Amino acid sequence: MSRVSFLLWLAVMASALYLVRTQYESRSLTTDIDRATSEARRLEVENDRLDVERRAQATPLRVEKLAREQLHMRTITPAITQYATVGGAAASAASAEVRP
Amino acid sequence: MSRRSVQYTSSPLLASKTPIWRSQFIVAVIAAGFLGLVARAAYVQVIDNAFFKRQGTVRFVRTLDLPANRGRILDRHGNILASSVPVPSIWANPEDIERDPVKLKALAKLLGMTGPELDKKLQDEDKIFVWLKRQVDESIAKDIEALKIKGVYARKEYKRIYPEGESVAHVVGFTNVENLGQEGVELTFNKDLGGRAGSRRVIKDRLGRVVEDIGEMVPPVDGQDLQLSIDSKVQYFAYEKIKETVIANKAAAGSVVVLDVKTGEVLALVNYPSYSPGKRGGLSGAQLRNRALTDTFEPGSTMKPLVVGLALEKGIVKPETLIQTAPGRLQMGTATITDAHPHGVLSVNEVIQKSSNVGTVKIAMQMQPHDMWEIFTQVGLGQKPQVPFPGAVAGRLRAYKTWRPIEQATMSYGYGLSASLFQLAQAYTVFAHDGEMVPVSLVKTNQDVTGARVFSSHNAAAIRNMLHMVTIQGGTAPKAQTMGYSVGGKTGTAHKVEGKGYASKKYRGFFVGIAPIDNPRIVVAVMVDEPSNGVYFGGDVAAPVFSQTVQQTLRMMGVQPDMAVKPQVVTKVEKESF
Repeated sequence: MSRVSFLLWLAVMASALYLVRTQYESRSLTTDIDRATSEARRLEVENDRLDVERRAQATPLRVEKLAREQLHMRTITPAITQYATVGGAAASAASAEVRP
Repeated sequence: MSRRSVQYTSSPLLASKTPIWRSQFIVAVIAAGFLGLVARAAYVQVIDNAFFKRQGTVRFVRTLDLPANRGRILDRHGNILASSVPVPSIWANPEDIERDPVKLKALAKLLGMTGPELDKKLQDEDKIFVWLKRQVDESIAKDIEALKIKGVYARKEYKRIYPEGESVAHVVGFTNVENLGQEGVELTFNKDLGGRAGSRRVIKDRLGRVVEDIGEMVPPVDGQDLQLSIDSKVQYFAYEKIKETVIANKAAAGSVVVLDVKTGEVLALVNYPSYSPGKRGGLSGAQLRNRALTDTFEPGSTMKPLVVGLALEKGIVKPETLIQTAPGRLQMGTATITDAHPHGVLSVNEVIQKSSNVGTVKIAMQMQPHDMWEIFTQVGLGQKPQVPFPGAVAGRLRAYKTWRPIEQATMSYGYGLSASLFQLAQAYTVFAHDGEMVPVSLVKTNQDVTGARVFSSHNAAAIRNMLHMVTIQGGTAPKAQTMGYSVGGKTGTAHKVEGKGYASKKYRGFFVGIAPIDNPRIVVAVMVDEPSNGVYFGGDVAAPVFSQTVQQTLRMMGVQPDMAVKPQVVTKVEKESF
């Protein structure tokens, strides 16, 4: 009988120690997941920030300025546009001339 | 047995008799000690357990706020018009700030304030938290950190960024430092954009790391993104054009409204002067006002097509009916209605084309005031436009029962009632959408709409033809023509009302038009306030803006030109080889 008690006592002790270890592990995993979550959030925010910055670099104001000044481009008009229609008909600015 | 080897049992020290009370006393003391422990344990664990539990919780349980992101505002193509990004805000603890004059001077300089200003903020030593400056640049925050002043800290806050700047300022509006909408759609849709912050309760360890979650987490609900119907390219272009025009004509202000006729969406809504939503120091009311929606004026000649449309609808006239407008004057009681130039006999078409007041009044006086009032009401005059915008006004349209004949006459050519530019643009969708009044939307819908029918399709086409005549040779606004696209519209020039009468030398020139005229896609309304560089007629100041805006907008929408264009393509097309 005392042997059984001793074995049970050992089992209780082992389980107690295991519980402590599991608790410790769970806590350190929680810390990790928390860190990963905040990193994810940081990256998300950073992504948003970069999106805004990219947009700020591509506003119509800036695009037009660069196109005009650096690339010497000009605004297009129907007179210098060729319109193509689906089906291969060579519709163009010239063909618009035919219509009233 | 030697003398040294004294046996324990016969030790002389034990030989003396110890009184029994001493051992009893020791036992009693130890027992009392244990009793004390038991009592304490009972006290801690049973009697005052709640208090100790709370104290424990206070020491390691923390509630973390989970902030919700404010939704972004996008244009119809998904370009960002407003978005929140985290920026540092600088705060200090006056109780334990290091008061080193050299460092504080450097700090004041970085914060862009004077020494005394900073001292004033740090004056109250009872406080443990004062904002020094909120939402500073990242680089400034780094420089401040480099100063290593004890008691000065940075914390992250969200700031609204508006990449498009001035051109969309009036539409988008702005938020305050607490991230609450103050103007424009930021204010109107504040609730949807704002979202709801969440929270979670956690146990933190000695190092401040989260080790365990307690209870349910309340997840944050991010604000919804809001996609507007605005096209940022059209918006930008219209803004640049009205800005150029206002400056060139030494005008006080100007506005442009562009509506998509098929869907009722607002493609552009611009005002000049404007402001940069990111830098709002020293703003004036003139800059902040969304004039297209908040300023009303007498719509003048732009009302004539509505009156003529009604006359067509009632069968009073036909487009070819001739009307005698000579001698360019018409006596009504004590008042005289005049035309700018006497015209003689005009057809109804020409009454619109030449913008004859006399002709319009002669048509209008054959109608009932009630019918005129009804048509004005049906196209939205005197009512707030159905756009979710702070400060949109209804304009003024008096009940028909109070109209005197002279008032009915003046109203037929647009005096005695008032409307905003936005209302005028919307009213013209009646002609553009085949006689239906289109409901407008500031939020992207991209769906064709059906409106309330006001005119028959046939009569709407007849009016469009008259509007087209306005822009060709012999009309009042040939400058509204644009390369490649047929247009039509109506000019208006109104004396500004000042106090109780009209200001003699202050005008407002405007133009509302439709393009392409046979199969309309857009309505564009342009208004220039107080042009004072010699020209002030709507046909001279507003029509050119209309022309350029139509040209660019239709091109961006991919609408093929419907008019003959002399091609200026300089290179020949080579046949593609497969």
